[in-house]
Amino acid sequence: MKRGLVLLDPAEIPADEWRGRVAAAQRELAASGTDVALVYGDVSRSDDIAYLTNLCVYWNEGILAVPAHGDPVFLTKLSPRVHPWMRLISTVTEIRSGRSFAELVATFLGPGGGTVGLVEAELWPAAVAAEIRLALTDREVRPLGALVRALRQVPSPAEIALLTRAAASLADTAAGAAAPDLTDGERVAVAERGLRGDGFLDVLADAARTGDGVASVRITAQYRYLWLHASRIAAAPSTGTWPDPLRQAIADAVTAAVPGATAADLDQAARPALDRLPAGATSEVRWVHHADMATNGEYPDYPSGLPIPAGSVVVVAIDVRFADGTHAAVAETVLAAADGPVCLTGQAGTVAAGGQIR
Amino acid sequence: MIDRYRYSLVVCVQDEEIMTTNPDGTADEAERSLRLGRVRTAMTAAGLDALLAFAPAWRRENVRYFTDARVAGAASFALLTANDAEKVRAFSTGRTDLDAIISRGWVADAHPLSARSASSLTQALREARPARLGIAHYELLPEILMSQLIQALPGTEIVSASGLMDNVRLVKSDWEIARMRRAASVVDAGWAAFVDVLKPGLPEYAIVAAVEAAIKGRGAEDNFMLIASGGDEVRGMTAPTPRVLQAGDMVRTELTPQLDGYWLQICRSAVVGPASDAQRRSFDLFNEAVEAGIAAVHPGVTAHEVARAQNDVFRARGLGQYCTSQYTRVRGHGHGLHIDETPIIEGNETELPENAVFIIHPNTYTPIAGYHVLGDPVRVTRDGAEVLISTERKLFEGAAR
Repeated sequence: MKRGLVLLDPAEIPADEWRGRVAAAQRELAASGTDVALVYGDVSRSDDIAYLTNLCVYWNEGILAVPAHGDPVFLTKLSPRVHPWMRLISTVTEIRSGRSFAELVATFLGPGGGTVGLVEAELWPAAVAAEIRLALTDREVRPLGALVRALRQVPSPAEIALLTRAAASLADTAAGAAAPDLTDGERVAVAERGLRGDGFLDVLADAARTGDGVASVRITAQYRYLWLHASRIAAAPSTGTWPDPLRQAIADAVTAAVPGATAADLDQAARPALDRLPAGATSEVRWVHHADMATNGEYPDYPSGLPIPAGSVVVVAIDVRFADGTHAAVAETVLAAADGPVCLTGQAGTVAAGGQIR
Repeated sequence: MIDRYRYSLVVCVQDEEIMTTNPDGTADEAERSLRLGRVRTAMTAAGLDALLAFAPAWRRENVRYFTDARVAGAASFALLTANDAEKVRAFSTGRTDLDAIISRGWVADAHPLSARSASSLTQALREARPARLGIAHYELLPEILMSQLIQALPGTEIVSASGLMDNVRLVKSDWEIARMRRAASVVDAGWAAFVDVLKPGLPEYAIVAAVEAAIKGRGAEDNFMLIASGGDEVRGMTAPTPRVLQAGDMVRTELTPQLDGYWLQICRSAVVGPASDAQRRSFDLFNEAVEAGIAAVHPGVTAHEVARAQNDVFRARGLGQYCTSQYTRVRGHGHGLHIDETPIIEGNETELPENAVFIIHPNTYTPIAGYHVLGDPVRVTRDGAEVLISTERKLFEGAAR
């Protein structure tokens, strides 16, 4: 849950870059003939709003109204008592609270016609979208594509710097959480202490245990509004029959995570090592854009032939299900740079030749 | 109803373990049956042929109620139909959720789900052919999923069952109370860690890191926590900031660990170093309000009455304005598989029966010492209230240097 540090630091992302993001979205609106875009977010999935404003929807729901011209306005069910804090940690200057999104949107827009677009309308709660359509009968309300998510696909240099800093913390913390002889609770405790102590906003950590008693620690973490993930096997090298092949498999998959690579390419790279897993084990090799990690990539469309965008930061992951129904996982956060993949969460020795360590 | 003698719940504090099952698993089965019976009764009263519990990532309480499994998928469902009233089917986008659900043993039929092609779910609904389908968290169901349900069920009336499930979950069973008692021990440990770490120079977010480590090490699955530090200028709590503590600061928090599905909250304030007279007077006021709220509790009391009892303490001192929405939100709220169940607020006439669980917290701003946070989670007993946590209700004082 989002209960870590929320910070707006112009030394990290300059004001010009924030303004540029909104301007880029507004250019998309102008091109599509949309007067106002509405971006929905809730506590579990609000990265589009954060990308445009650094707002943190730490509880409940909110809608960011982005006019084709002018500044975004945040509409929320949260109390006006949190407005001062929201202004402190975001670029938004106008925030309106109310009990009904329909009323908030209608009041904000005022009378008159025009076109209102719902960004990624298919992911909006149907009931919320319906009440807004009902309240805006004098306007055309139409679905918009994932225009903000598209802007988030390739991180800026400032974002790469933040991701690199965060990845270093995650790598160190994950190594500690994967130390031998910890309980599952202790592994999660190590992750929480390390990452929240380093200023992470959100930490989703757990430990899976296989039938032969080997734990995998899985850590998804959010630094500012950027997501990273690492999964580690908590077993010393040469322990058991499958941890070493699985470690080799993720190293091989990371090495293959070049711009343009597909999940099939990653699978092909990892398959020789995965073939050494115990009989009955099934495995899935996949990549998820870091911008989609709020839902672990479960809502966006990832067709099998989708290539990794050049310059993007993605999570390369291998999930293994053993015959007894237990699971193991390995994963890294990788920058798909033009000159080869850079494993941001990698540790020395974990990535095969061809891949770089941060 | 559970036969309490046959299915005696074993509450064993040794090694921080609390068993909620007999060796043969019968208590679990009794709890599962109890829940299905409650839901079926509510479905009948509401005229529902099928109930679909939807769990987005931030509201999983109803799917947990049916499965007792910790799911992690971005979207998961539990389906109960009137024509197969003993069988719950589960669906999830989470890759490991199905094994988690099946291994828990409450649901034997679990299916993978794709948000973009929810054929496993729509096929099950087509086979059930409900005339009237209730969806718990209908209000949060994304269009991409709602449109597939509507297409699969032409002619079916689809209604919200969110309130239905809220009511079903309102009264906790003995099995649930046992779990909440275990959560209470984690709450106490979390607060102890909070006080232990306080010292001048520490940023707010480092306090959260220490608390999170303490409660996660004890098995907490999640935590909801707000915090604020400073003097009498503090008007409310937020996520942590980089602000560093200073001697004399009052540090306020509501800390809400989740253990085995169940959330339980503590509200406390602590001073970095010795408390001032104003901070002590503020504590005395808020403690009186908490005690008034607790004293008002009895089976059938309304949320309104519990809130009014607390607010009257402020009103009696001419501080009634600080009980309004300008300064505060609620005087408490229900607990259970969701953090924030029925609100304890004037105007909410929801009756709180025996074994309802909620926190009483008159948290608000006053000019005495700024925003003050104090509250205890309670269970409605046969003749009053039982405070579920062990942490003393006092104004804590942390290290001054």
